[in-house]
Amino acid sequence: MSEKKAMEKLEELGKSMLSQVSEGKSPTFDTPLRSRGNVEFQDGLGYLKLGSKKEERTFLNVSQARTFMQTVAVANKTRKFIAENLHTSIRGLYYQLKFSLGDDVDESLFEEQSESNVLIEDLEVSLGIKREDLHLTTDRKGVVAGPMVVKDNFTGEETTIDCTKQGRSGWMIPSDVDNGMEFVDVGADYVLVVEKDALWQRLNEDRFWKKENCILVTPKGQASRGTRRLLRKLADKKLPVYVMTDCDAWGWYIYWTIKTGSMNLAYLGRDFSIPESRFLGVTMADIEKYDFLKRLTINAKEIDLKRAEEMLSYPWINRHKEWVVELQKVLKTKKKIEQDALQGERLTFVGEYVREKIEKKLWLP
Amino acid sequence: MGDGIFSKFKEYSVAEFFKKNRQMLGFSGKVRSLTTIVHEYVTNSLDACSEAGVYPEIEVWLASEGEDKYRVRVKDNGPGIPKSHIGKALGMMLAGTKFNRYMQQRGQQGIGATGCTMYALVTTGQPIRVVSSHDGNMVECEVGIDFRNNKPLINLISEGPAEGGKSGLEVDGVFGEVKYDKSAYGVYEYLRRTAIANPHAAIVFNSPEGERFVFPKSVDELPKKPVEVKPHPLGISAHDLIEKARNAPYQRISSFLQEEFTRVTLNKIRELQEAVPEVDLGKKPSEMGWEDAEKLVAGFRKIKWIAPATDSVVPIGTRQIEKSLSSIISPEFMHVTERAPKIYRGGIPFVVEVGLAYNGKGANGEILRFANRAPLLFDAGGCAITQTIKSIDWKRYGIKSLEEEPLSIFVHFASVHVPYTSAGKQSISDEEEVVDEIRNAVMEAARGLERHLSGKRRTKEMVSKRAAILRYVEQLSVDLAELGGRKAESGKVKERLLKMVEEKYSLGNMGAEEGAGEREKGQSAPEEKEGAEE
Repeated sequence: MSEKKAMEKLEELGKSMLSQVSEGKSPTFDTPLRSRGNVEFQDGLGYLKLGSKKEERTFLNVSQARTFMQTVAVANKTRKFIAENLHTSIRGLYYQLKFSLGDDVDESLFEEQSESNVLIEDLEVSLGIKREDLHLTTDRKGVVAGPMVVKDNFTGEETTIDCTKQGRSGWMIPSDVDNGMEFVDVGADYVLVVEKDALWQRLNEDRFWKKENCILVTPKGQASRGTRRLLRKLADKKLPVYVMTDCDAWGWYIYWTIKTGSMNLAYLGRDFSIPESRFLGVTMADIEKYDFLKRLTINAKEIDLKRAEEMLSYPWINRHKEWVVELQKVLKTKKKIEQDALQGERLTFVGEYVREKIEKKLWLP
Repeated sequence: MGDGIFSKFKEYSVAEFFKKNRQMLGFSGKVRSLTTIVHEYVTNSLDACSEAGVYPEIEVWLASEGEDKYRVRVKDNGPGIPKSHIGKALGMMLAGTKFNRYMQQRGQQGIGATGCTMYALVTTGQPIRVVSSHDGNMVECEVGIDFRNNKPLINLISEGPAEGGKSGLEVDGVFGEVKYDKSAYGVYEYLRRTAIANPHAAIVFNSPEGERFVFPKSVDELPKKPVEVKPHPLGISAHDLIEKARNAPYQRISSFLQEEFTRVTLNKIRELQEAVPEVDLGKKPSEMGWEDAEKLVAGFRKIKWIAPATDSVVPIGTRQIEKSLSSIISPEFMHVTERAPKIYRGGIPFVVEVGLAYNGKGANGEILRFANRAPLLFDAGGCAITQTIKSIDWKRYGIKSLEEEPLSIFVHFASVHVPYTSAGKQSISDEEEVVDEIRNAVMEAARGLERHLSGKRRTKEMVSKRAAILRYVEQLSVDLAELGGRKAESGKVKERLLKMVEEKYSLGNMGAEEGAGEREKGQSAPEEKEGAEE
């Protein structure tokens, strides 16, 4: 289990710094730089990751002393969480560490949550572990339905969850799908991710997942950490992952974040990206193909066009000529269309649309 | 009858002239008038002591005698005045001996002690009481002026052997239309500054409020006596040239120039004659007319001269200024320049001495101006010293705003000829070489101050850095020990961390920590030490 690995890494960090102190050296650790200049994309890997640039954090440096102390405090506190098998949010952690440094000192260990948030990322990166392994929960957002059985070992009780029996609401993806979670039976043929909850509900009502024997997921916008981890695990089980979003740069970027990760969160690396995923739609080509969609387009806004231009400049996107064509169409026509528009003619059209795309392999890389 | 009108006219004219022109003599404004009176007496005392080679001990008393009326009493330990000269010194106009002497001397403001006697008579009708002990004899008398004949009126009070054989002079008078205050133009400030520029003198001031201020002597060394020197051709005006020529005992202008001026040789006379063929250098100096003088002065400028010797200039001295600043301002730090004399207008030697005193008893950003050891209190705005100081970019030297920093700026200008802007002799004109030298001297001192301030800043930074890190040691020790699985050792970890912080952020380690600071360490340290000594 990965929380065990996290525990070992934390103790290792503590021991190495203790031995530095006993040698009369300033306690120090290295952490990879998380700036954009240190974000790399490698063709062979298919996802964004941090490069080799590192920086040293050391206590005996005035500009680093406070954050250094704070980082060690976060490390020690999460070590206790793991040892006690208790979980909390990053906000909960912040409140645990918000106390005065002494009666005669007008300073708290932490003043703002933003201070502790970045240090959690520091720890994740420098130790190569995930915050979920540190017993830190994140907001849940995604929902699942379909042929998948999960055993959830929670607070000492084991619950079996069958995702075909979750009614209209579906199973909400927890923040951590690694620790205490076991995927006992995944009998689906593929995974379908739809950006919007409204479309998910439509397809769920159609029992689309049953007819297609697929796992139906909605991240409800940008995918949460838990959702991305779940998709990664399903992809690891050799299930194809198909994604559907709005036809605009923002929607497409949701796909790209799922596929390659994002620059801001490049430190998450492979565990949170699914390079195998494929994009079903909606595409600019669809607007030309389906007559009824033509009248359902809306005008692209300035920020949509700006985002499209940015995406054209990203090497991991512009290496795919299909995407270059799509993005350039956005810039040229200045149009966009929502995935909900697929219901414009018939409510059941969405299902037909997905089926046709998959059967005829009409996806984008 | 005609005689009567003239004598009456004459009687009125001296008094009237004085009344109408008293601002020219320093009697303008009530505060300034009082300062002028004290200045005249104190200057005379300092000069007399200097001539006699004694350390001046001067005491000043001021007492209110009703609205805008003050009694002024000044007593010194100088040689005193012989009975026969008392009238001349205090009751007769233009009796001074300083005129036309080409040597470095205090600014002659107003018309000396006689002017004060006149002011007392005009404003209160009372004569001046004088007690002079000279050569073992004491004379006490009252001195007034017979305006009609410009003659002193002396009323002898008593006479006898001097007490303890000591010499000295005491003058005592009541003056009207004067006012005492503690402003930068008042008597207190005047005496404080006089004391700063005359560290060999002890000055005591008894204020009208009954306070007693003592400015003790701070150096055991009398100032070098200024020597009388011949002027340089480039340092003389047409007016002064005629004055000088009037009584010159020479047959020809050419020999007058050769004898009475420095650097004038026979060769130079030939060059001069070529430059101004229309002036007859063979005629008597007394026959020199205004036009001749103007042409000669213009001719002097056409010729190349060797610069004059600069030994006529007597600075106060770096060490002396340091001692007096320590004694009177007692600053945390000071820097006093020591610079070679320079020459302006090609012919007049001068020296500028600058002292910066930081964080002492002076007013914020005060500029203490002096010419030949006499404080310049008035006309600050029109003075080259003030203007030059204000034009300097003080931020470069770690001074954000001159008016808000505890900095006293001392500037002394010493020269045989001080280029005053006006007859009031309270400000120096902006001669190019003078301005340049003042600027360079102030900047030199400012660099010294900057080194001190940046050293101080570094020390402060070091202390605050250490404090900043130290407050994190406790928490870090606990977390570090627990994280490394050695909870029990947190005390030991803390001890080690404390030791590391103390070592790295000790003041002795300043250069190593800052790197860039190293360069200045060697220079600023000794100055700092000297400033702190006092």
